[in-house]
Amino acid sequence: MKKDFRVQYPLWQMTFIVLFGIMAFGLTGASTELIHTENELSYSMELAKIESFSVLGATIITFVLVIIFFIKISKHNKQHPSQKLSIWQIRPIEYLEQDEGMTHITRRASQKVYTFFVWALPFLAVLFMIFELPRLWMILGILFLALMQYLLYYLEVRKHLKEDDE
Amino acid sequence: MLHNRVKELRARFGFSQGELGQRVGVTRQTIGFIEKGEFSPSITLALKLAREFEIKVDELFWLEGEK
Repeated sequence: MKKDFRVQYPLWQMTFIVLFGIMAFGLTGASTELIHTENELSYSMELAKIESFSVLGATIITFVLVIIFFIKISKHNKQHPSQKLSIWQIRPIEYLEQDEGMTHITRRASQKVYTFFVWALPFLAVLFMIFELPRLWMILGILFLALMQYLLYYLEVRKHLKEDDE
Repeated sequence: MLHNRVKELRARFGFSQGELGQRVGVTRQTIGFIEKGEFSPSITLALKLAREFEIKVDELFWLEGEK
């Protein structure tokens, strides 16, 4: 059960969030130039060595992981034809709803995440209002909340499945 | 808190958690959660479990301090 793609899905999301954060670090450090005249319209971006390396590295890793991610979804759908997953589905992929016991676990994990957001979102909003933070820090703050969301969800589900294995 | 005899009766009938789950239409994990008292099943599932063990529901599940 722990190897079920739906259980592992939060780990994938957390990885993508970290990669997105690295890309954001690189892109927000870029110096940009917009030329808009009667004869010319151009936009250029210049990245320093560390920033360009982080953007390029994170993009390549993301690209490789996205391919593996789709292979995993395809494999899951072949193994569980009655519980097919799609990245376009509205209901989150990580929901375990095969029966009432698994729905119970999903509800417990979702409640933890909801409780976290009830406190974390206003806190972050106040933080952004009080301090004049650079754009990168604001992006990283939002990404941190997203990361915590998946971490809390994963740990709660994992706790129940671990207890079950004992 | 809801107590139950699912583990005891499952052993008596010689079912694994997976087999019992299959017979009543739930996953092995859900049977495990019920046995540990971590999860209270629906009336439908309780009736299905009682039927498998050929006993009444209140002989399979009871509230704390009532037995």
